[in-house]
Formats: sequence, C-alpha cells, structure tokens
Amino acid sequence: MNINRRISFGLLTAAVLGLGAGLGPAFPQTPAPLIFAAASLKNALDEIVAQWQRESGKKVVVSYAASNTLIRQIEQGAPADIFISADLDWMDYGQQKGLINGETRSNLLNNRIVLVAPRDATYTLKVAPGFDLASALKGGRLAMGNVDAVPAGKYGKAALEKLGAWDGVKDKIAQADNVRAALALVARGEAPLGIVYQTDAASDPTVKIVGTFPEDSHPPVTYPVALTKASTNPDARAFLNYLRSPAARPAFERQGFTVLGPGSPRS
Amino acid sequence: MDGLLNLSPEEWTAVRLSVRVATVAMLTSLPIGIAVAYVLARCKFPGKTFVDGIVLLPLILPPVVTGYLLLLTFGRRGLVGSFLAEHFGIVFSFRWTGAALACGVMGFPLMVRAIRLSIEAVDRRLEEAAGTLGANPLWVFIFITFPLIAPGIIAGMILCFAKAMGEFGATITFVSNIPGETQTLPSAIYTFTQVPGGEAGALRLTLVSIAISMGALVVSEVMARWVGRKMWTE
Repeated sequence: MNINRRISFGLLTAAVLGLGAGLGPAFPQTPAPLIFAAASLKNALDEIVAQWQRESGKKVVVSYAASNTLIRQIEQGAPADIFISADLDWMDYGQQKGLINGETRSNLLNNRIVLVAPRDATYTLKVAPGFDLASALKGGRLAMGNVDAVPAGKYGKAALEKLGAWDGVKDKIAQADNVRAALALVARGEAPLGIVYQTDAASDPTVKIVGTFPEDSHPPVTYPVALTKASTNPDARAFLNYLRSPAARPAFERQGFTVLGPGSPRS
Repeated sequence: MDGLLNLSPEEWTAVRLSVRVATVAMLTSLPIGIAVAYVLARCKFPGKTFVDGIVLLPLILPPVVTGYLLLLTFGRRGLVGSFLAEHFGIVFSFRWTGAALACGVMGFPLMVRAIRLSIEAVDRRLEEAAGTLGANPLWVFIFITFPLIAPGIIAGMILCFAKAMGEFGATITFVSNIPGETQTLPSAIYTFTQVPGGEAGALRLTLVSIAISMGALVVSEVMARWVGRKMWTE
C-alpha cells in the first residue's frame, strides 16, 4: 500500500477503536435508576441521593419537573424507574393508564402551601377567609404553578376558592410551569406575591413567608411514591426502600416535609 | 378531522397575540435595522467588528441566555428596567411589550444581515451619478438607494417576522407564559405538551403556525417580485 492509504487506514482504525472505547463505559452492568421527582423535592432528594451514593456506592439519576410533566413523559415512554408525585391525582392518573406498579405505591411525605413575598417586602397579610389578596397585589401578579395541572397551582387555587379570594385574583395570576419557577418569579421581584410549598420558601433565603394557608382550605398535600410498571432495575427497588427508611427522614425533615410512617397504605 | 381547526378562545388569543407581537417587533426593529445595516455596510470606524459582533450575538447565543440577559437588563430589578419602572412606569414583565422586545431582539440580526447584504450590492455609481446631477445625500438615499434595497428590506422584515413568530426560549425566560399577554403560539403549544391529554390542542396550534409561516413566505415572495418588476420596468 502506498503511504497515503496506510495513513488513512491507520486513522480509520484509530477512529473505530476510539469509538469503541468511548462507547464501552456506556454499557455498565446495571444502569443507574432514573427517578422522576416533583420539583419541590430538589433540595431534600439531592441530599438523599448523595447519602445513598456514599453508603451503597451506587448512583441514582433524578429528573425534577412538575408532576404533570413527569407523568406525561412516562406516558410517552420515558424510562423512569421511580415516580414521586406532589399530589395523589397524577399518581392515580399514572395507575389508570397502567404506568405505575400499584403494589409498590405508598404515601411518602406531607407538605403545606404558603404565601410568599420577596424578602424586602414590607406588607403582612393574614391568610384567612375573606382576606383581600387582590389589593395586596397592587397591580402586580400572583405567581403560582399552572392552576389546572401543576399540583402546587391546584392546591393554591383550591385554597383561594375556599377562602373566597379566587375571583378577585383569577385574572392576575402568573402561571409557571412548576412550583420552583413560581418561587423564582417572587425571588426576582417580578411578582409581589406567590403561592409555593412551605419547603420551597424555606429553601430560598431571598423570599419570606407572609402567611400559611389553613390545612382545611385545600386537599392534603401528600406526596405518593411508586415504581413504574416498566422498571426492571433491582437497584430502583433498593432505593425506593431507602427513601422510606429512617435513614432518609432527616434530609426530608430538614427541608420542612412531614415524613409519613413507612409502609402507610395509600389513601 | 373536521373539529381540528376549531380553535378555542384561548387558542385564538395565542394566535392573535403572536401575530401582534411579531408585527410590532418587526416594525420597531425596521428603522433601527436599516440604520444599523447602512452604517455597517458603508462606514469604517474603530470598533466596527465589535459592533458587528454585538448585533449578531442574539443569533448565536442560546435563546434562553438572551432571555436571561434581557431579564437582567429590563426586568423589574434590572439596570434599565428599574429606571424605566420608577420614572416612566414602563414595565416589561408579563406584558406583551416584553414579548415584543424579546422577539425584536432575536429577529434583529437576521434583519440587519439581509438589509446589509442588499446595501452592499448597490452599484455606487448610480448614487454618484445622482450626486453629480445635483442631488443631496438624503435625496439620493430616498430615491436611489432605498428602492434598490427594497427587496432586501422586505426579506429582512419577513425573516424578522418569522423568527419573532417562532421565538420561544427568550420570551419564556424574560416574560414567562401568561395567557393573553405573553403566551405566544410556541408558548401555548409548549403548555399543551406539558399536560397529559393536550395533544389535540398542540396539533391544532402547530398547523396554524405552519399556515402562518407559509403565508408569510408566500407574501414575501410576491412582494419581492412585485418590487423587482416595478423597478426594472420604470
């Protein structure tokens, strides 16, 4: 062969070997379990995942988004192993569509919804029946998750309706794709007030809680967790058990979640 | 299939808002675009490459980055935004004007490029001939240069309009997704795709988007040819 052909052949071989070497690590023995978790779980779950990795040496990958977005992705075939929803409705939807392994379902956490404002805001507002939220907004918008789909938005709308404030503010909502996006709108000062979870407010020092919604004004904020039907990963089941074990409790409680008893039946 | 094009009121709102935002973005970018294109095509000055770069930046940056920069500058607490809000009461957050600003900024480089290319293609001798016949520079621009670059300006306008109609990343980062104010067609389609069962709505709006874009292309072709024909038959 002449010199050019030899060089080309050599380069081609090197490229193929390189490709093989690059792809090699992409096929590990067992892939890391994929968790689809509600956006509000970010701080707590990141900590638990790091803990799990330290203790068991195994990796876990988490994708955070609004629960409606996640269940929709699972419906379209996303390879999630575990789904943690911020409300029972979306988990029920998943079970109806045959996406969720009902035997592994249980209620993991409780949370509260609160009214938040930027840290330097000067007003206070008592969240009680008949309270005048519309004038507190002073022409600005109330940041919430999408009130038809995002759990935090749905809880918020239910609470406002119960307290008689919904009609005054329903045209003044800035609907965000998930509760953390709503939090960011308040933190940036774009929205004077917002409805987020108590745990979100605790995680962000640039917002402060102006009022807490009474628990009887909305359906209980319960986070169910389950394996997906399509999951075959043994590490996923192990991680699910870890989430329900006392080892995971401190991380959740530090953020302000109420951890429900392990193995509590789904309501 | 027969119910496919029955848009709900919210969907119609998104369509109307998109067209309005894109039109405003295009029209407000136009004078600035022509001026900037002219300066970049004809003038030499220190820092020209830098200005060229700044103008082209929205084309290369990820749209979300452009949206974030707009937020930092024109948001309620931004450098320019807080000044505008305090002294003039002008707020872009959650308003269609913010969406128009985002779309205008994203479409601006495309408009400038198209106009600049057509300015550079003008035969200077025609302008010089008019000058030797006694015309002042402004007259030369209006009656000689402008008709010659008209097809380029139309192309730039259509490109800017199309980009504005399709703008998503910068808009949603800067002014979020408020139905009636900032929920343009792409944002509305995105919202449909976030909710299980939103396929029908997403598909309807996708078809409308395609129809509007194709319509804009056809109009631009027709106009460009009409202008071209008028010029060469005079």
